[in-house]
Amino acid sequence: MIVAADAREQTRARYPDEEGFVERDGVRVFWEAYGDGPTTFLLFPPSPISHSRIWKGQIPYLSRHVRVVTFDPRGNGRSDRPADAAAYSWWEYMADGRAVLAASGAQEALVAGICDGSGWALMLAASDPAAVLGVAAITPYVPRLAAAHPNYEQYSALDPLDAYEGWAKCNVHHWRCDYRDFLEFFFAQQIPEPHSTKQIEDAVAWGLEGGPESLVLADIEAPPPWTTAADAEDLCRRVRCPVLVIHGDLDNCQTRERASAVAELTGGTLVTLAGAGHLPQARHPVKVNGLLKDFADEVAPPAPKAKTWTRALSRKRRALYVSSPIGLGHARRDVAIAQELRKLHPDLEIDWLAQHPVTAVLEAEGERIHPASALLANESAHIESESAEHDLHAFQAIRRMDEILVANFMLFHDVVRDEHYDLWIGDEAWEIDYFLHENPELKSAAYVWLTDFVGWLPFEDGGEQEEFLTTDYNAEMIEHIARFPRIRDRAVFVGNPDDVVPDAFGKGLPGIRDWTEQHYDFSGYVTGFEPVADREKLRHELGYGPNEQVCIVTVGGSGVGGHLLRRVVESFPQAQALVPELRMIVVAGPRIDPATLPALPGLEIRAYVHELYRHLAACDLAVVQGGLTTSMELTANARPFLYFPLRHHFEQNFHVHHRLERYGAGRRMDFESDGPAEIAAAIAEEIGREVDYRPVETDGAARAAALIAELL
Amino acid sequence: MAVEPLTGAAEQTRACYPDEEGYVERDGVRLFYEVYGSGETTILLLPTWALVHSRHWKAQIPFLARHFRVVTFDGRGNGRSDRPEGPEAYSIRKFAADTLAVLDTTATERAALVGVSCATLWGVVLAAEHPERVAGAAFIGPAVPLAPPHPERTVYPFDERLDIDEGWAKYNVHHWLRDYPDFLEFFVGKIFTEPHSTKPIEDAIGWALETTPQVLADHDAGIDLPIGVDFRELCGRVRCPVLVVHGDEDAVQPHGRGAALAEAIGGQFVTFGGSGHLPQARDPVAINLLLLDFVERLP
Repeated sequence: MIVAADAREQTRARYPDEEGFVERDGVRVFWEAYGDGPTTFLLFPPSPISHSRIWKGQIPYLSRHVRVVTFDPRGNGRSDRPADAAAYSWWEYMADGRAVLAASGAQEALVAGICDGSGWALMLAASDPAAVLGVAAITPYVPRLAAAHPNYEQYSALDPLDAYEGWAKCNVHHWRCDYRDFLEFFFAQQIPEPHSTKQIEDAVAWGLEGGPESLVLADIEAPPPWTTAADAEDLCRRVRCPVLVIHGDLDNCQTRERASAVAELTGGTLVTLAGAGHLPQARHPVKVNGLLKDFADEVAPPAPKAKTWTRALSRKRRALYVSSPIGLGHARRDVAIAQELRKLHPDLEIDWLAQHPVTAVLEAEGERIHPASALLANESAHIESESAEHDLHAFQAIRRMDEILVANFMLFHDVVRDEHYDLWIGDEAWEIDYFLHENPELKSAAYVWLTDFVGWLPFEDGGEQEEFLTTDYNAEMIEHIARFPRIRDRAVFVGNPDDVVPDAFGKGLPGIRDWTEQHYDFSGYVTGFEPVADREKLRHELGYGPNEQVCIVTVGGSGVGGHLLRRVVESFPQAQALVPELRMIVVAGPRIDPATLPALPGLEIRAYVHELYRHLAACDLAVVQGGLTTSMELTANARPFLYFPLRHHFEQNFHVHHRLERYGAGRRMDFESDGPAEIAAAIAEEIGREVDYRPVETDGAARAAALIAELL
Repeated sequence: MAVEPLTGAAEQTRACYPDEEGYVERDGVRLFYEVYGSGETTILLLPTWALVHSRHWKAQIPFLARHFRVVTFDGRGNGRSDRPEGPEAYSIRKFAADTLAVLDTTATERAALVGVSCATLWGVVLAAEHPERVAGAAFIGPAVPLAPPHPERTVYPFDERLDIDEGWAKYNVHHWLRDYPDFLEFFVGKIFTEPHSTKPIEDAIGWALETTPQVLADHDAGIDLPIGVDFRELCGRVRCPVLVVHGDEDAVQPHGRGAALAEAIGGQFVTFGGSGHLPQARDPVAINLLLLDFVERLP
């Protein structure tokens, strides 16, 4: 299946603290530096088939421990693309590394490389031993050393061929004619691990930024750094510093013999990653990060830091609660579950690893937020950056959050390695769940996974491609659970079996409902509040008159909803004409400036409403997006509401919609077709209506807590 | 129910027996040593106060010997080593010289030293004065004069006759000579403050009964003999990597002494939460892994 590459750079987990260019012989090379650790780690780029972003899974983690310096290779990224082949010789790349190191102010550094970059790193270590403390060579390419990969020996790279199939695509004529086709083939070979669509997409996109001419110049036309095996061996022997070689046994670019030769001739250590391909730092970032960090610690031991290990029976009972900030609705239910959990285990200490806006709720509740939370990469800002007019492609937004997920998992891992927790609870904490299944040896406590939906679902307008991707993601998840049932000690579905969508995970995969019933416990829905007992009293408290028809318009805490608010505001005059007692209150929320909304006579616009859920419980009608939390709050309080699922938000369009249908709750609207007139008419029909929703249970938090408590 | 050590019983089956053993003789004092394993790096497990002998490393030896070459010896005063008389025979300098002699006899050019309690005193002397022989040093529950002792230990004099023999008043030479087992039961109970420690307590009492209270008294006095240099200054001269481990419930040597030692040397400090004075016996797995990690990383 061909994968598309998206050229927009996705949100990074970590942005550089410093950046600049070095110029050598008129060629400008772009570099970045991250962090302020006492030791510098220079990450060489690969050949101009890619650029420095290839290290995105490493930078955020390593830069918390060491100073990380990266640069783009001449021929790609933000570095120049000189036209002269001599400018692409390996000695130039090595010298660029040295110049970048100097520009970054480092006297000496650990250096790492991937493929060609490993060769350049070894060259720098051999020719400038005082500057290089150690070399981490990932899937190293050292020309002429040991056996080249047979993949490259089947076809001529220079002569025109009759057909460009398979490795024949590795040919200058084909590069110039259809570079994307070559890149898609090539990176599918280099990342042969199943379920690697995102890593392949990334690599193809970065390759396209460089273009075929860079590769022709660097790989074909540039003068070779040396011409004999003896030269290559001599280079390795001259490396005196510690060397770590990482090799994937499914590498389709470099042979094991070559990796072994580098290790042997440099006196280094060879680590084989079984089942891994040529780019393990992208596909197995957690493992590679650990290897690089251990190597750095060994070569340049960090200043000693006092630590504590507590005897098992002296430990307090502790849980770490990781609450996802995406969707914004998890905070209240997680607090409710935590409170119920404490009733069952009064001695339990709960720390929270969470970010805004979840932390706002936690602080108000007096919960203990782990200080490492401040280091989490921001997921909400990423989700907002992925949204357009009432449109959020939630599946792609989460895929494009891969760098943030690795970074946040590494932070979690640092926390739980240094402190003893009995239990980890992840409410839609995708990074924890995914990387624990990818690195099962890192699980060292009981672990509970909570979610309110199961299954990535494609939209029709995403075509075959989106269906392929969601199926692939579902398949990987199903394989994870089947292979490592010990990772999730409990999987709790926040809802009931009937809330699970009737769809299939994809072609050849089981039905979601059946599979979920087999693999989950069901807690019922968790609202996180008591339903309102006396609505009249509440209305009075909130200042709503008995004859007023109160309509609350809210998009929650997200910045994605400005367009919907504006659309509803436009409907106000017509709605007012139909409902003379209408009192419409528009809540802009923390991320939308109320001044950007049109002011109309009689319309109330507020930036913030304290305890909004009470107003929602008291209103006669609400107009909302299609998020689960708000719509279920309204359902639990039996309030009529109009909801507009965000376009391309599979959770709102399929999962939440399915659930609301089951409860007979809400009136689904369509941002595409419903203009001010339709909205006004719907307001008039729905406002103040007596509804007959299926009741929402009130014991969900207690049931979820009981399921979790058994593990303590 | 009090702990009743099996005195006179045969040594229990070991998990691992030495590959080499022998005696070193210095000035007429014979010291028994053992060598296990054949790794490139040697760990020398130091003797501590003569209360116990080299079997106090029994939980470390089999594991460490799979990764390193392990050398142990019985300190003068217990085990299969001689029991010379008088404090002079038990000075810190004597223990340091014994260690060098064992290194020489076992053809060990350089070793990582590991010691518990007062073994730290000779360990620091060696690390500071013989840096070429010491690759690194790990000290557990160090008995070092860098921070005040537990206040309850300063109440009663050691060598005056007392008319009380409760609590730390038992730490008194006259009481030792009068009722050695009573002292041991008290003192070893203070070593292992962790609940459910019956076996380590039995072991330690059993080993202590292999020597005499007079030897312990001589050793106690020997430790107080001057080493000719300020101990804190000596710490400042240590250049090799150092790991200090101290239980925060150590009732024999305060946790603050471990912290002070790590600070004075500039070493890594690891607190064992809930641990007493000899965690290598009571929490062997955690100690073993820590030692493995420490020694593997030595340059």
